[in-house]
Amino acid sequence: MKKTHIAAIVIIAIAIGAIISTIQDSSTYASFAQAMENPSTEFHVIGELNKEKGMDYNPEINPNVFSFYAFDKDGDEHKVVFNGTKPQDFERSEQLVMLGTMQEEVFICSKILMKCPSKYNDGQEEVIITASTPEANS
Amino acid sequence: MDYIGEHLIPGMFGNLFIATSFSAALLATVAYYFSAQESADRGWAKIGRAAFRIHSLAVIGIFATLFYMLINHLFEYHYVWQHSNTEMPMRYILSCFWEGQEGSFMLWAFWNMVLGNILIKTAKDWEGPTMTVVSSVQVFLSSMLLGLVILGYKLGSNPFILLREHPDMVNMPFTKIADYIDKIDGRGLNPILQNYWMIIHPPTLFLGFSSVMIPFAYAISGFWKKRFNDWQKPALPWAFFGVMILGTGVLMGGAWAYEALSFGGFWAWDPVENASLVPWLTLVASAHVILISRNTGKSVKTAFVLTTITFVLILYSTFLTRSGILGDTSVHAFTDLGMSGQLLVYLIFYCLLTLVIFVTRWKYVVGDKKEDSINSREFWMFIGALVLLISAFQIIFSTSIPVINTVFGSNLAPPADPILHYNSWQIPFAIIVGFLIGIGQFLKYKKTDISKFWKKIWIAAVISAIISAAVAIFTANTNFHYIMLFFAATFAVVANTDYFLRIVKGKISKGGSSIAHIGFGFILMGALVSTSMSKVISQNSSGVDVKVLGSDFSNHDNIMLFKNDTIQMGDYFVSYSNKKQEGVNIYFDIDYYTKAETGEFIKAFTLNPLVQLNKTMGNVAEPDTRHFLTQDIYTHITYADLSPVETTSTAMRSEYMEPKEKMLAIGDTMFSSNAIIILHQLNTAIDRSEYELADNDIIVGAQLHVLKINGDIIVANPLYIIREMMVESIADSLPELGLKFLFKKIDPESGRIEISLSEKQANKRDFVVMKAIIFPFINILWTGCIFLILGSVLAIRQRIKTS
Repeated sequence: MKKTHIAAIVIIAIAIGAIISTIQDSSTYASFAQAMENPSTEFHVIGELNKEKGMDYNPEINPNVFSFYAFDKDGDEHKVVFNGTKPQDFERSEQLVMLGTMQEEVFICSKILMKCPSKYNDGQEEVIITASTPEANS
Repeated sequence: MDYIGEHLIPGMFGNLFIATSFSAALLATVAYYFSAQESADRGWAKIGRAAFRIHSLAVIGIFATLFYMLINHLFEYHYVWQHSNTEMPMRYILSCFWEGQEGSFMLWAFWNMVLGNILIKTAKDWEGPTMTVVSSVQVFLSSMLLGLVILGYKLGSNPFILLREHPDMVNMPFTKIADYIDKIDGRGLNPILQNYWMIIHPPTLFLGFSSVMIPFAYAISGFWKKRFNDWQKPALPWAFFGVMILGTGVLMGGAWAYEALSFGGFWAWDPVENASLVPWLTLVASAHVILISRNTGKSVKTAFVLTTITFVLILYSTFLTRSGILGDTSVHAFTDLGMSGQLLVYLIFYCLLTLVIFVTRWKYVVGDKKEDSINSREFWMFIGALVLLISAFQIIFSTSIPVINTVFGSNLAPPADPILHYNSWQIPFAIIVGFLIGIGQFLKYKKTDISKFWKKIWIAAVISAIISAAVAIFTANTNFHYIMLFFAATFAVVANTDYFLRIVKGKISKGGSSIAHIGFGFILMGALVSTSMSKVISQNSSGVDVKVLGSDFSNHDNIMLFKNDTIQMGDYFVSYSNKKQEGVNIYFDIDYYTKAETGEFIKAFTLNPLVQLNKTMGNVAEPDTRHFLTQDIYTHITYADLSPVETTSTAMRSEYMEPKEKMLAIGDTMFSSNAIIILHQLNTAIDRSEYELADNDIIVGAQLHVLKINGDIIVANPLYIIREMMVESIADSLPELGLKFLFKKIDPESGRIEISLSEKQANKRDFVVMKAIIFPFINILWTGCIFLILGSVLAIRQRIKTS
């Protein structure tokens, strides 16, 4: 057997290992209901902030706890407790990707990815016409 | 409707340039293709060259037009309106230029054009085939700017489209105003891009992308023209040039993330970062295999495969970051501009081209069939290249999870802890690479005398082992992976230094590769030490016990700091003393004090992390970092009250809060939010006439030493008076600290007195929540970058000289 063949076999073996490990390490996108069924597993839940209900952040008591209410894609609402500071402009978020586990009706979340109305978002942005410039005579 | 005040001429020129650049590139491709045929008419080459020259001028024209529009704030153009405004500092005009996708494609096309012209001058008999490839790439890139709708499909996105003609703006109110142009301002540049790294990182990265194209063009040409063993020599300096520039570009991106983003480090395995790292890894592999191939005539096919894979990976990365597919997994991916289909066509075209050429040519490749000796340099270099390839594969596979979901309809989410996931694979790869870098230079091509090899290498091995063992013991590190990686990185540095000094005899001009490898060793070492030993010093030790919320709450990294309060963090005492607003930025003064042996606090430095207020795109916090030789102290505001400075009603701020009472004996202390108060002594020697007291009235003063956070002492003297059997308290207030003291009572039995302390609302109101991290020895990493660049420049110069 040539050395190149040995190298090729080793490489294929490592590559398969990498693929398997990625699939093992990867978590799943889920709804709150699915997260509730497996309280020991970490899930990514995609949802949005319930802007009607309040958010709770009291840095004087604990700067690393922030809680709010969110809907998942099925429209289910749950309380979410985030282990971290309240993200900048959280009120403006359009979509949230929350990573965590469900514990007794509360989603305990360690990471939040926030989508804000972005620069490429059609229809969201307006051309602001300032009134400060004197009106041209028509 | 006739609009007033619009500047339509630049747009017309811009569109003319775009059309010209596209058609000239197309013509150049065709002409160069025919010129590359056997016994072609020399006229073809002339046409090709002329067409590429015209294309070059057109690309410069596009560049200049957009630049002109940005400088003159021509908001009638959508791109200018979308990416800039009048408030923004002029130095960020360049960042605006490449903030959008169109601008970044322009930048890419620009560098390709520059390198294409260099190729015309240097390629000699390779000009025909290589320029066919280069011109074809330019056809694709120019088409990204066309903005034509053909059969209902939008081809490219035109940067010169008028604001009022943009599809998103149809029928917006402003389009009904004739002189709208006088009344609008742009949306402005995303605040996270308003950073000096964002001026230089994109051009460097794109020059790196472009430089990958040249070895690709040579590899394709070599196989196309069946010159299997000739293409390596001219391709080699370009490959190493690419290694240097793309590497620098990637690290600059890391530096930007470290300085301006809240990643809390310079590398977070973010998909966008990975997308540019992966082609660099395969490029390093490809450059080394081209080197093997040139020096031994072997591994021709591997060199071809790695070189073309690198180019295809650049396109794939572009597709990942620009198609919006990473949307749910990355913080800073572009969103879809409707060009993902076009990018995919581009990607598939070059995949197929490569495949067709490889399949039709590979039976003609005559390489040296002899097996590599296990004692040869080429054997171990080849192994190293394979390790890099597999490392690249692991990263790109994990990063491609969203693509896998799209293709297979699966529902995988990225790893919950990406850093752990990537590190567990990449650290072992890095260990192997580190050792290979160390031994590589000491091995000879073909066959090495193995006993001589051991004789030369043992010193470096022993020195590195001693250093690593010492460091592991000193830092009490027990992580086997970390210790091995440190050993491998140290070995890479020591062995190459040894080689440079003993074998190259310190000749700088010939030491390029040694210096570059030392640099890479330092980068590994710096990355390992600064990340594995980084320490969050802002641990939240006070406050409510977080355990009640479940053991998942392991994050105590953020700490709340009231204004003028001092908290110990690591070896420092940290205080938040002020905030000030300059334009859109709110700067926070975070003072770091050290405690001298005498107990005095000495201000060591002040950091000014900031929050940029941005109504359109959201506020962005930017950390500030103090750099020392041996460590960096990083400070980031994670939460703050951003109501404009000093607008909270002064009346409310100046009110006192509920007083706090405490019984004190002499020498006892009490605390306010901003000071320590010590009852120094009771004082009866007070001028009684001032208070019009009778002889049997009593007056006692409590001399309080109020210790400010900076160590200064202010004295407060509240008085306790018994006048005609009636108790009176005369308050003493310290406006500077917003404190008021009342001497309320004397307890004759215990000899203690009661002091009531009131604090102003203002004292309590203002606070920040911050995070502070110490990154030790991150300078090793930056030093490594400099060595890597310097070494590469020397090596490339040496290659160009000898060829």
